[in-house]
Amino acid sequence: MSPNGVATVERAPSGPLTWVAGADHKVTALRTAVVALIFFIASGLLALLMRTELAQPGLQVVSEGTYNELFTMHGSGMIYLVVTPLALSLGLYFVPLQVGAAEIWSPRLALSGLWLYVLGGAIMFAGFLTDQGSGRAGWAPTVPLASDHWTPGIGMDMWVLGVCLAVLGMFLQGLCVLATALRERAPGMTLLRMPPFTWTLVATALMVITSFPVLIAAMGLLEWDRHVSPVFDASGGPALFQHLFWFYGHPVVYVMFFPFVGAVAEVVATFSRRRFFGYSLFVISMLLFAALSMSVWAHHMFTTGQVTNQYYSLTSHALIIPAGIEYFDLIATMIGGAILFRTPMLFAIGFVLQFLIGGLTGIIVASPPIDYHVHDSFFVVGHFHYTLFAGSVFGFFAAAYYWFPKVTGVTLREGLGKLHFWLLVIGTNVTFFPMFFLGFDGMQRRIANYPASSGFGDLNLVSTIGAFVIALAVLVFLINLWVSLRHREPAGDDPWEGQTLEWATSSPPPRFNFRGRLPEISSFAPLLDRREREAER
Amino acid sequence: MVDTRVEVQDLFDAYLWIAVAVAVIVFGAVGFAALRYRHRSGREPSRRSDALRAELAYVGVLVLITAGLVTATFRTEDEVDAVASDPALRIDVTAFQWGWTWTYPDGFRVTGNSESPPTFAVPTDRTVRFTLRSRDVIHAFWIPEQRFKRDAFPNRTTEFDLDFDQPGMNGGVCAEFCGLRHSQMSFDVLALSEPDFQAWLADRSGGAP
Repeated sequence: MSPNGVATVERAPSGPLTWVAGADHKVTALRTAVVALIFFIASGLLALLMRTELAQPGLQVVSEGTYNELFTMHGSGMIYLVVTPLALSLGLYFVPLQVGAAEIWSPRLALSGLWLYVLGGAIMFAGFLTDQGSGRAGWAPTVPLASDHWTPGIGMDMWVLGVCLAVLGMFLQGLCVLATALRERAPGMTLLRMPPFTWTLVATALMVITSFPVLIAAMGLLEWDRHVSPVFDASGGPALFQHLFWFYGHPVVYVMFFPFVGAVAEVVATFSRRRFFGYSLFVISMLLFAALSMSVWAHHMFTTGQVTNQYYSLTSHALIIPAGIEYFDLIATMIGGAILFRTPMLFAIGFVLQFLIGGLTGIIVASPPIDYHVHDSFFVVGHFHYTLFAGSVFGFFAAAYYWFPKVTGVTLREGLGKLHFWLLVIGTNVTFFPMFFLGFDGMQRRIANYPASSGFGDLNLVSTIGAFVIALAVLVFLINLWVSLRHREPAGDDPWEGQTLEWATSSPPPRFNFRGRLPEISSFAPLLDRREREAER
Repeated sequence: MVDTRVEVQDLFDAYLWIAVAVAVIVFGAVGFAALRYRHRSGREPSRRSDALRAELAYVGVLVLITAGLVTATFRTEDEVDAVASDPALRIDVTAFQWGWTWTYPDGFRVTGNSESPPTFAVPTDRTVRFTLRSRDVIHAFWIPEQRFKRDAFPNRTTEFDLDFDQPGMNGGVCAEFCGLRHSQMSFDVLALSEPDFQAWLADRSGGAP
């Protein structure tokens, strides 16, 4: 009981019961993120094995069959089980706080999302224990290859089922985040006073609820095709499956991107010590981006000869406009600021500059004639690792260093953070930049082996060395987590002079997020408003 | 006669230089901000939070760049996608796990798989019409030297023209993941002058030249 007699729960409850009945969105979000980090390490280790195999021409470490399992599980692990859940877990934790809500909309739906996701991921990985191995038709399977005839075995069925469950779980969590932003806002928190991060989650969740069900349907039909009766047998069937898959498969790319744009926007504004620049156009650009994301899917099918390439090329090129607005706003926030180069800001700048390489090469592959050459080559592998790893994962680390004090009450070590950052920058670029040359020179994706005469050996060796530097950087991050949690340096409620409502409560926040009255909300940066008013007094 | 090698390479180079220019501008702007607006005692950050007119003008520039790129892409695509009404040679290509069969006019076939990759011949400076299909799963026919690939689907065919302007060997691979031996589903294309090609054909098919 608090002094005024109103019942409050000061600390978020924990213990075994919360695993099945816990309603605190912060606990669910944190657990989602921790599970995603475990899958990140697992899927990353698979990538290290692949890079070890590719270091030299010929087969040295794994068989071709095992390699096919490795790249399938690395890709599907990272997309279904790592970056999507990490992105949504940030939303689950911080959207309610940023809009001044005491709880997320339908907390137990969010919790069941976590369970479906854990179960799905476990089933996918358990496929390794079956006779014929795990799923091995790629993260983006094609039919007929993924049919029972060409890829038999229970491991592949477990992969299909696991993907369905994990994606359903993420669908539920996305729904909860969207409903929170739309229905649970505090008085005064109008839609156009929601912080940039919350807006990116709204755009994300809109894509989640429109595209994720299509994947679940596609996977359900694939399973039906595998064991009941043919679904994709007709001459248009294989292309139809690709349409269904990419109708999910492209929006999910931005699901794995927008929340990190939002986090980086908050970090850039906070560490430039000024208001985020160009808010209204930024909000419009996010919604435009989300809308366009639903109309570009068949740019993954330029080489099929079965789609109207011009249409999908046009919509894909149009992404230049919202992406360009975001870059303008991020950089314009820095120019005129008073920039503090703390670890979150370093990762944010790393995100901005490295994602740029992924984005610019993305425009290159949006051109069908160029895609005729580089599609399904290592050029594309380099491109999407610059977006997903050099972009989104850097954005995640920016968010992690920025919000860790809020979630745990302690700050991560600055020295280890900077070491982590620089190692990761070196490892990332040494790993992924050579892939552009390898792909353009003719190295195709999803191969365990390449002939010595191809001349691909040297660049592959460089790329493999880079992958181990990335592993070292991730190890430094884990050490930082361990050291910081063991030898706690209390952070206080607002260590960075934050601008949004999550910094107006304790670290970690209490069970119902806020004690007492919320600060006055007159813009998307209420705490900055308050500081400015106090400075004027 | 459309040389995909030149068409695609030229378009790629144009995109690449624009990308490099944009990268220089963005890296420069971030570098400028990082050096010039570093936190120092006494520096007050700007309170300005938008510049709507400047930003809309910038959006106009983005629209123009987009329109220019799309125009260049459409023009090249028209060239590359076009199929001649009277190709000099028609070759049927069948992809399968894990190899290729080329069927020349008169039914002459060359086939090979991952155990012994095939070598196919084409004439230089002639429009060659390829009709591509798959016998099982999806494959993709990629000749990196020609800067061109096309997917091979089961139960349907797709057609495209290629021109090989220089004599010599072009490596080819399957680019669409197609199962266990995908990495070894390679082939070679030997481009020969017309007389040499006719001799090759006669020699291999056992017919008169």
